Parts: sequence; structure tokens; C-alpha cells
Amino acid sequence: MTDYAIETKGLSLYYGRHRGVLDVDLRVEKGDIFGFLGPNGAGKTTTQRVLMDIIRPTVGKAYIFGKDCQKEGVAIRERIGYLPGELSLYNNMKARQFFKMYYSLQKNNNDPGHWQKLADRLGLDTSRKIREYSSGNKQKVGIVIAFMNKPDLLILDEPTSGLDPLVKQTVMELVREANQAGATVFFSSHILSEVQAVCNRVGIIREGQLVATERVEDLTTQHFRRIRFKFAKTPPGDAFTQEGVIETSRDEGGITLEVYTHLDRVMEQATSFGITDIETIPVSLEEIFLAYYGKGNGGNNA
Amino acid sequence: MLRLLLQELRFRINGIIGWGLGLSFFPVVYIGMYPSFAEQMAIFEDLMDLAIYQAMGISMAGFEGFIASTVTNLVPVILCIYAVINGTGTLAGEEDDGRLELIVSLPIPRWQIVAVKTVALGIALFIILAIVGAGAAITMEMITISVETRVTSLDVFLSLLAAWPLAMAVGMISLFLGAFSPNRRIASTIATVVVLVSYLGSNLSGMISSLEKIEKLFLFHYYESTAQALELGQQTDNMIALLVISLVAFGLALAFFQRRNITVGAWPWQRGVISK
Repeated sequence: MTDYAIETKGLSLYYGRHRGVLDVDLRVEKGDIFGFLGPNGAGKTTTQRVLMDIIRPTVGKAYIFGKDCQKEGVAIRERIGYLPGELSLYNNMKARQFFKMYYSLQKNNNDPGHWQKLADRLGLDTSRKIREYSSGNKQKVGIVIAFMNKPDLLILDEPTSGLDPLVKQTVMELVREANQAGATVFFSSHILSEVQAVCNRVGIIREGQLVATERVEDLTTQHFRRIRFKFAKTPPGDAFTQEGVIETSRDEGGITLEVYTHLDRVMEQATSFGITDIETIPVSLEEIFLAYYGKGNGGNNA
Repeated sequence: MLRLLLQELRFRINGIIGWGLGLSFFPVVYIGMYPSFAEQMAIFEDLMDLAIYQAMGISMAGFEGFIASTVTNLVPVILCIYAVINGTGTLAGEEDDGRLELIVSLPIPRWQIVAVKTVALGIALFIILAIVGAGAAITMEMITISVETRVTSLDVFLSLLAAWPLAMAVGMISLFLGAFSPNRRIASTIATVVVLVSYLGSNLSGMISSLEKIEKLFLFHYYESTAQALELGQQTDNMIALLVISLVAFGLALAFFQRRNITVGAWPWQRGVISK
């Protein structure tokens, strides 16, 4: 248990009779940058709130650094930097006052000037009242408070939401730097290119259930392969019609197939038409994600 | 814990000053204008026998009765509005606007959050009453020469401070309702009904015999706004009763907040149920 930064066991949470998350067994290893993917309402925020002990599970357990999130929540939260998805701030305070207040209420106060460095990097003018900020600048305030205490675990709910591309990049740099300094990062995002760029592992949650947890490179190479063939003689239209294979394009330049299963059989068939060129086209995380959601069958898209 | 308390007081400072000065208006005006129409008050004495005035606890026979019926009667009622606004705004209001999520995500036990907010509410109510009491006492000093009375400015000051247990009880019931009900709107509606029913019920129970049996259920039963109370102070057992009510409400607020799913906005019995 202690090898994991985050571990949930059979975690289910219902809002009355409405499903929040269902039987989630999640493991995030120490040192991971873990991307938590899913559409709106899938259960990402609910899972993160359970980890923060903001809401309690109906059944199941959640552990952070081996400690029960409900029973030892205070000790756990000393080591966590948290950015809520629906960030609400004290609008009448200046950002500087708010940072000082929030810092003073933390336990591991070891670098009182760190919030100012973070604010500078994000280009945030801390002398202004929070109510005067745009939504992007308010999000920057949230980023600063999550990172200000150099936590061992960062739980970030859509951290780049509402930020411009340059600031998004800075936030991703902060994530990488925190990770290099030893922090585990658990964040949800809709921007899959961002997740692919920074995360080493991802979990995909659909309708409250965790449907996949894999290393990013495994997910993008193992889920399906996209192969483009050029042939000496053009195969008939139904040449590759079989379970686990989708022909996505056909033109004079060749045929593109998405191969989910039976790669060996596909290669045999292709060889029979005289392969003149073969190319494996990289599959993005976004495509994998859409494949999981495309037909609602847990990823078996073929 | 002290840091959190200081923050809570900082958040309330404008409200404390505003309510303190605003509420001071009542004693300053009522006490200040008494000498100019003291003689005319006799005309109204017959009117005071009307049930409506008795229901409102108003009896203006003499200066003491006038002060008791206006200042020490009205100020606590109006302060109860602040107690309801602040009590329900403290947990339920912050949850509704999302700020509570940030506080709960700090390494602070939930019981400490409730305790600190309770202390801050108590201090806020006390300071407001102290400001109002000071305003009343200063005005009293200014008119002492023109009014014949046994009541001193210190009596008026202390009689206003003595409303603290009542206001605190209302504040704590509101805080508990905020921790119990799904949102602030429901909590403040219930708390307002409690205050209104308590106020009218307490006054009416002196006139309607059937209400006497349940008069102890009304919070205002434990607070006297009479000329006698102005001179002799509130009864100790009544003040203890209000403090006990506050403590019970605090305990309930703790218990329900400890188990509350923050950000969900549900009644306690609407916690998750695994569907079959």
C-alpha cells in the first residue's frame, strides 16, 4: 500500500441515487505524473474530492501515501497541493493578502517567498484585488496556492482551464519541475495533447468507472495500430473486412487500416497483394480517448 | 487555529463596524429624543394596553419602560438578523459560493473550522453589542440632566451586552442549520422563522394561556426586555439556558459538519445509496 501515492479500493460514491463514481480501483505510483481523463460528469472531480476528504465515499476506501483519506485527512493534506475545478476565491482580498493568508494556514511552511516566484512566473500582479481579475488570472491564483507549499502530491482539477497558451505552457513546466523535485502529480484535463506531453500514466474514467489505467506510450501503441500500406496490385474493397480491423482510407496512395486485433493475419493478407511500402502512423492520446468513448463499449472499438 | 480565527475576524471587521454603528442609531435616537417628548408619552400609555403592543413587548410607562420597549427590545431582535445572516453564511454561505472547498482542503480538522467560526461569530456579536451599548451609554450621559431616572448609563450598556447569549443562541442555531440543510437559502429561511416565532410566541404567551405551556420553547422567553431587567439585569438561569442552547447547537453543527459532503448540497438523509 505504501508504494502508492494514491490508491482507491472499490471506491463508489452516490449522490442520493445518482452515480458519482462506481467501484474505482485506482493506483498512482509515487513519482508519477498521472493524467485523469474523462468527459464532463464522468467522475473526475468527484474522485479528487474524495481524495481531499471534501466528500465521503458511499463504499470503498481511498488512501494517499498509505494513509486513509477519511481517518487521517489532516496529516495527508499537509502534503497535498490542491486546485479545485470550481475555484472560488475571496474576491475582496488582494492576491498578495490571500497568498499570505493561505500560506499561513498551511503546515509545511518552508519557503515563504515561493508564492511570489510562482506569481511572477505566471505573470500575476499580486497587488490587485481578486475581484478585478479575469477568469484566467483567478485560475493563476489557484495554481499558485496549489504549488506554493512545494507539496509531495499535487491534485489539480483542470489546471490549465481558462489559461492562454503561453501560461498553459508555464503551468506544464511547473508540473514537470515539481515532478523532477520528487512530487507526484495527479491531474485531470480535457486537453489530451497536454496530457500526452507531460504525463507518464493516464487513467480513463467513463460514467463513473475506471476503464483504463496505463502508461501513455503503452496506451498509444497497444490499443490499436494505424498502418498505411502501398501495394503492387490494388486489393479488393473487402480485402481487410474482418473483426478487429477498420479500413479508414483508400486512395491511389494506398490503404490505411486501424488494426485492433489479429495483426499477423492482416500482415499475411497484405503480403498477398504485394506490399511496396509500409508506414506506422502514430496514434494520439486523443484518438485513444475517443476510441474509448466512441461506441461506449469500453474501448473495444473494432 | 489562532491564524484562522484572526482571518475570520478580518473577514467580519467591516460587518462588525457597519452593524455596530448602524444599530447604534436606535438607542442614540430613542434615548436622545426622549426628553423632547417625555410629557407627550402619557398620551400613549392607554394605547399600550392594546394586544398588538403587548405582543411586541412594548410598554412605555416611564423612561425605563420606554428604553426597555425600544432599545433593549428592538436591538436584540435586529441583531438576531445579523446572527441569522452570519450564522448561515458562515458554513452554508461559504459552501454555496465555493470558498469552503478551499478551507476544507487545508490541513485543518473540520471541528476546528466550526470552532473557529463559532468563536469569531461570538466575538463579532459581542463587539457589535459593545458598540451599540457604548452609543446608548454616551447618549444616556448626555440626557441624564433632563430625565429623572434610576437607570444609569452603565445599566443601559450592560443591559445591551446581556443580549449576547440570545444573539449567540440564534447565531449558533443558524450555524447548525447551515451545517445541516442543503443550502444557505433553506437554512436562513428556517432560522428566520425560528426567530420570528420565538419573538412573537414569547410575547403572546403572556396573554394567551394556551401558549404558556410551550413558552419555554421560545428563545425570547429567556430574554427580558423590561424596565425591571434594565435595572436588575437578566436572570442568571435564563442566560445559562441560552448558553446551553448555544452549546447544543454547536455540538449539532460539529456533528453534522463532520459528516457533511461539502459541495454536494444535500440533506443528511440524502447521502449516497447504492442502487441495486
